[in-house]
Amino acid sequence: MTPPLDLSRRQFLTAASLTAAAALLAGCAPGATPGAGPQTLQFWHLLSGGDGVTMSQLLQKVNDAQNAFRIRPTVLAWGTPYYTKLAMAGAGGRAPDVAIMHATRTVGWAPGGLLDPWDLDKLAGLGVDASTFPKPIWEKGFVGEQMFSIALDAHPFVAMFNTDICDAAGVLDSDGALQETTSPEEFLEQLRAIGGQASGHALSYGYLGDGAQMWRLFYTLYSQHGSPIELPSGGKAVIDKDVAVESLSFMRTLLDGEIAATQADYGTAVAEFSTGKSGMLFTGVWELRTMQNAKLPFDATMIPTLYGTPAVYADSHSFVLPHQTHADRAKRDLTYQFVADMLKGSFGWAEAGHIPAFLPVTESPEYADLVPQAHYAEAAKHVVYDPTAWFTGSGSNFQGEFGAAVQNVLLKGDDPVAAIDRFEARVNTMLSQPNPADPEGTFGS
Amino acid sequence: MMTAATDSTRTIVTGSRTAAPARRAGSRSREQLVSWAFLAPFLIAFALFLVWPIIHGIVLSFTDASLTGAGGGFVGFANYAEALSDPVMWRSLWNTIWFTLLSTVPLVVIALLMAALVDRGLPGQWLWRLSFFMPYLLASTVISQIWVWIFNPQIGAANNILKAFGLEPLAWLQNPETNMLSIVIATVWWTVGFNFLLYLAAMQNIPPQQYEAASLDGAGAWRQFWSITLPQLGPATVLILLLQILASLKLFDQAYQMLGGVASDTTRSIVQYIYEAGFVSYRFGYSAAISYVFFALIVIVGVAQALVTRRRKEQL
Repeated sequence: MTPPLDLSRRQFLTAASLTAAAALLAGCAPGATPGAGPQTLQFWHLLSGGDGVTMSQLLQKVNDAQNAFRIRPTVLAWGTPYYTKLAMAGAGGRAPDVAIMHATRTVGWAPGGLLDPWDLDKLAGLGVDASTFPKPIWEKGFVGEQMFSIALDAHPFVAMFNTDICDAAGVLDSDGALQETTSPEEFLEQLRAIGGQASGHALSYGYLGDGAQMWRLFYTLYSQHGSPIELPSGGKAVIDKDVAVESLSFMRTLLDGEIAATQADYGTAVAEFSTGKSGMLFTGVWELRTMQNAKLPFDATMIPTLYGTPAVYADSHSFVLPHQTHADRAKRDLTYQFVADMLKGSFGWAEAGHIPAFLPVTESPEYADLVPQAHYAEAAKHVVYDPTAWFTGSGSNFQGEFGAAVQNVLLKGDDPVAAIDRFEARVNTMLSQPNPADPEGTFGS
Repeated sequence: MMTAATDSTRTIVTGSRTAAPARRAGSRSREQLVSWAFLAPFLIAFALFLVWPIIHGIVLSFTDASLTGAGGGFVGFANYAEALSDPVMWRSLWNTIWFTLLSTVPLVVIALLMAALVDRGLPGQWLWRLSFFMPYLLASTVISQIWVWIFNPQIGAANNILKAFGLEPLAWLQNPETNMLSIVIATVWWTVGFNFLLYLAAMQNIPPQQYEAASLDGAGAWRQFWSITLPQLGPATVLILLLQILASLKLFDQAYQMLGGVASDTTRSIVQYIYEAGFVSYRFGYSAAISYVFFALIVIVGVAQALVTRRRKEQL
């Protein structure tokens, strides 16, 4: 028998801490040696819930289809926490190989070198080029001359409608589509007809305390007037006041307590529609699954064009190359391969409600049979993104600022002119601040 | 939250240390070495996590450093000039001060009332003590969730109560006129237990003979409360007030969480604005400058605390 280890308490503690330190250091060392078996590609994204499930299925398929690489996804909380972490990883030069960003956020990132540009020739070699994307979606990927993001999808703001209620109200075509309305008056009339059949409100629209929701509808209506808001860096915001006030006033008209509830937040509106109490819901396509799970008789369509120009607010989940100080060429090539594979396999992504950006997918006969996704696929041609500036985009403060400025117009009927002035003043303050990715203005962003 | 509380505990602990008996001179330096060794873990943490960040923050506030790694050049007082002329900075600072005013008064008064009730009358003291203190043990995330549901405009308990009294329902958290009040209500419910406990302890320190004597002299319960209890709670009140002001000035978590991280002009606290400038807008330099503007305010409160404590010591 070996004698029991004869250690004093101090010796034991010293030994234990040394072991712990060694384990800690080992943890920091680079992982598997390269060259052995498939390469591991680090992939960060912000998709959880139903989107997250669909994303893992897509990744699984891509992984299973080849042996060159394995994707290792890291999911982080949506919004600011995600972007803060990704930016810090990029600033440290040790970012993941590929990541998802909202297309609207790249402007604040690209000029300072947080992102590496995509090589268009390499992409074209893999069958990914301008001809395979709707024009506005492809163009959104560019900052200046270079392409920084490749869209996986567009996720526009849409109108979902309860087919039973709308049928009873007589506002459906013979083929079951919502009758077209081309002016605010026509649309209000249609909603009043729907309201007559719904046990709750005609329209569910949640906005309270949710700047993004207010912005999505506002900017859809604003853009339907034909020209976007412009935010030239270092200059003043170009906002057509009359158009803005008209759009905002129309939103207030909807929230009269009859057509739509005056006080509703996002969750309440989704609940009202998904339990069949209301005839229509303004929401993002990402709620599609919620409604399918609720076994609701419903369909979805583009927000009706009320002011002449078809336009819908949208954003895109896009692939970006976060900056790596020592990018591994072989891994970069595999990353291109991965993105091409994902785009080509993005049919499954439509199940989460999003419109795949890759045209060969949405133009396929299978997609035409996918209902209700096919009924709003047209929206991809008319997407309008946030005005371009470093401080705008999904999960930024810009939409929150909009909400803070206009909420009382919607809630209590305050003066819309004053609200738009407030918003403009705030935007001008933000415009006067330097882009933190480029504080010296080297890149003229 | 209770930095000052630990500080005062520490004073008590070090104050009660008994002097070691004098030994031979050689062991003195060894003894010093040992005491430094015992202090080392704290001193290292203190230097790393308090002293260094404070120095680094001051340096940062004079640069245009960004979270993205760009910039970092010296910009002199530009950040401070921008902060002092930034209406959002002033609004946020006011929101913090307004919250401190709104929350401190009920947090002291209600704690006193609860302590008086528990100390004097109610049966089952332990149960009251437990239930008054319990919310304080919850994480801010938990209380935020609870109150988000209570304040829900459609199905929340708060509006049900209003309806029972025939009042109009409110969009508590979403309406800019009521959202700060809602946060104050939630905060009072959450943290009043701590002040309650301090008051209760102070009350139970009052010798019962004084009450006995007073009742022999024919003083009723009210008279006893006014003339015996309240005057003897003076030191406790000063402590509670200062701790409370410092805690309230740090408003961030519950406000940020209850509004779902949404920027609202009426609830954005200065701490939230510091966070937004640094981690949403990526402007570390500017963020650091705002935090030193706020730091100046805290220093004023801290100095006031020191002066009050010193005056009280001189009185003793």
